[in-house]
Amino acid sequence: MAVRDDPRSSEKKQSDDLQTFNAENLQSNMRSIYYSRTFLSIVGGVVAGIFGFTGLIGFVFYFVVMALASLGFAAKAKFSHCAYFDSWSRIVVDGFLGGLLSFVLFWTFAYDLVHIF
Amino acid sequence: MAEDLVLDTAIRDWVLIPLSVVMVLIGVLRYFVSKLMRSSQLPDAKALKEGQVIIRARNLKSGANFIPSKSFRARRVYFTNEENGLLHVPKEQAQNAQAQMFSDPNMAMDMMKKNLSMLIPQSLTFAWVNFFFSGFVAAKIPFPLTQRFRAMLQNGIDLSSVDVSYVSSRSWYFLNLFGLRGFFSLILGEENAMDDTQRMMQMGGFGFDASRSLAAEKDSLDIIQHDWALPKIEHRAEQVLRKLLR
Amino acid sequence: MVGAAEEAQLNRLENQVDNGGGGAWEYLCLVRKLKARRPDKVLKHGLSILNNPKARSNLGTEEWTLYEQVAIAAMDCQRVDIAKDCISVLSNKFPGSTRVGRLEGMLLEANGAWADAETTYRRLLEENPNDQVVQKRMIAMAKALGNISTAVEYLNKYLEIYMADQDAWRELAEIYVSLQMYKQAAYCYEELILCQPTVPLHHLAYAEVLYTMGGLENLQMAKKYYASAINFTGGKNTRALYGLCLCSVAINQITKGRNKEDKESPELQYLAAEALVKDYKEKAPAKLTLVTSTLKSMKLIS
Repeated sequence: MAVRDDPRSSEKKQSDDLQTFNAENLQSNMRSIYYSRTFLSIVGGVVAGIFGFTGLIGFVFYFVVMALASLGFAAKAKFSHCAYFDSWSRIVVDGFLGGLLSFVLFWTFAYDLVHIF
Repeated sequence: MAEDLVLDTAIRDWVLIPLSVVMVLIGVLRYFVSKLMRSSQLPDAKALKEGQVIIRARNLKSGANFIPSKSFRARRVYFTNEENGLLHVPKEQAQNAQAQMFSDPNMAMDMMKKNLSMLIPQSLTFAWVNFFFSGFVAAKIPFPLTQRFRAMLQNGIDLSSVDVSYVSSRSWYFLNLFGLRGFFSLILGEENAMDDTQRMMQMGGFGFDASRSLAAEKDSLDIIQHDWALPKIEHRAEQVLRKLLR
Repeated sequence: MVGAAEEAQLNRLENQVDNGGGGAWEYLCLVRKLKARRPDKVLKHGLSILNNPKARSNLGTEEWTLYEQVAIAAMDCQRVDIAKDCISVLSNKFPGSTRVGRLEGMLLEANGAWADAETTYRRLLEENPNDQVVQKRMIAMAKALGNISTAVEYLNKYLEIYMADQDAWRELAEIYVSLQMYKQAAYCYEELILCQPTVPLHHLAYAEVLYTMGGLENLQMAKKYYASAINFTGGKNTRALYGLCLCSVAINQITKGRNKEDKESPELQYLAAEALVKDYKEKAPAKLTLVTSTLKSMKLIS
């Protein structure tokens, strides 16, 4: 009876005008993206601190990490964003800035631990 | 002084790390305490019904094109008609709902408990930080900020020539406060992250106001144009069968 | 509703556990999550875990959920003694709990003590008037006793509050069909279609009710819904194909003489008939002659 046997697929597309979403899968997909981004911000922060990035370079590093993450998500979704999310922005843009504060915290922490003290 | 300050490792051992550890522990403690303290509310029949009505109205909205237009219209009238439609909330009732929320003792208690559980640990920790850890440089933030941030970040430090990157422990406390949110969502799982900042913003509005959501659903139902999707599906069925038989 | 992939996984785990491989606990968790009803397997494997004190202590707090699951499976298999043991263990651990009270009510039902069960449920409802599961048990009991009208009344009352509960709508639809109250059944199926527009089962059931009600407009709608069931199942659902053929024959009979051509999809019934023939050729060639002669008499194939 399943139209698409992919358990994580959140969209059943019959044609261009009849799109329906499986809300539960959509939410769980978005949650995994959120967790991954948070985790990557923390790890990125520690790495930036250990390397001793200061100033703008650190922020650039953060954006690079986030961009890589977006690329990774897109690849994992096999570049067909329709199958797993309702729009491009969910993969690429959502939560981009959410991890910034965690990143700064762990960046400061690691930087201080390694370089100042 | 444009040179780098050399800071005592003791600061790292006795300030930075303990402060972070304490904040993590307090967050975890608060999570468990809130879990224990959650009063088992007997769900109110009216609130339950309203929640279910909203779900049903949303289903109607999303699935509207799959049922015949006659049924859809009948249902729409059932939901939105002015006299006893499910979604129609007479105006006096809407205002009463808010007043009721203030006077209802259970809800007031719950809100107070939630607010307290948030305020008390925060203020205690802040007071502790101020008492023990003020008057010295605690950390260096790896990016430069303008002079205007000096007053905020360097509270206890009375030297005005120190680089703004060197901050006091109070700012370390705030940095932890905001930065550990993501960390908590990872270790405590899903919803129960320390959503302090979000809750602080939510304190303005008052949680779940059913009448507003009902009115919103009613408006969105009124707007819908019914476009019966079945004929299109019939065409597609034809194509499916043709493909099958080829 | 259990999807195809999940069912396959469940069967795989079941085979694995049956043949001695481990994984009994995962199997039981999956059964619980999917709300599948496999009482004999659950009873067998659940008991083997519960009777093994080491495995039991490994479960920690999940042990009580397992007791509940095994108790219900035992009642399904008419092993009332096992169920009674499990429930007494649970009531010792959680005295006065609503959940255990529910199980006690179910035990009374299994023993046939209907009046006692009803008193138990009513008592639970007094303490907790909005308990969904107890209300559903009362409905089930009324249905089991044959008081269909009471069951319908209770179910309607339940749905007045919990109107987003799909299982309740489905149950009500089936009861209405059994009572031949087709208009009401159609309403319930419409609700189900609204909740899950892409599940072909609801479209199929709705089409069948419409076909049964008869009348030109209903038959035309039924034809459309059979078509949508065909669309969602990729043309593989035999019942939908048959339904489509029968609908078109019925429509043609009614509109005989009237020059009302079905402009939308004139070829659909012929395609459906061909698909049926092909299906039977592959799966049940013995019955092929029967099918072809019927379809020929309906003038759907040449």
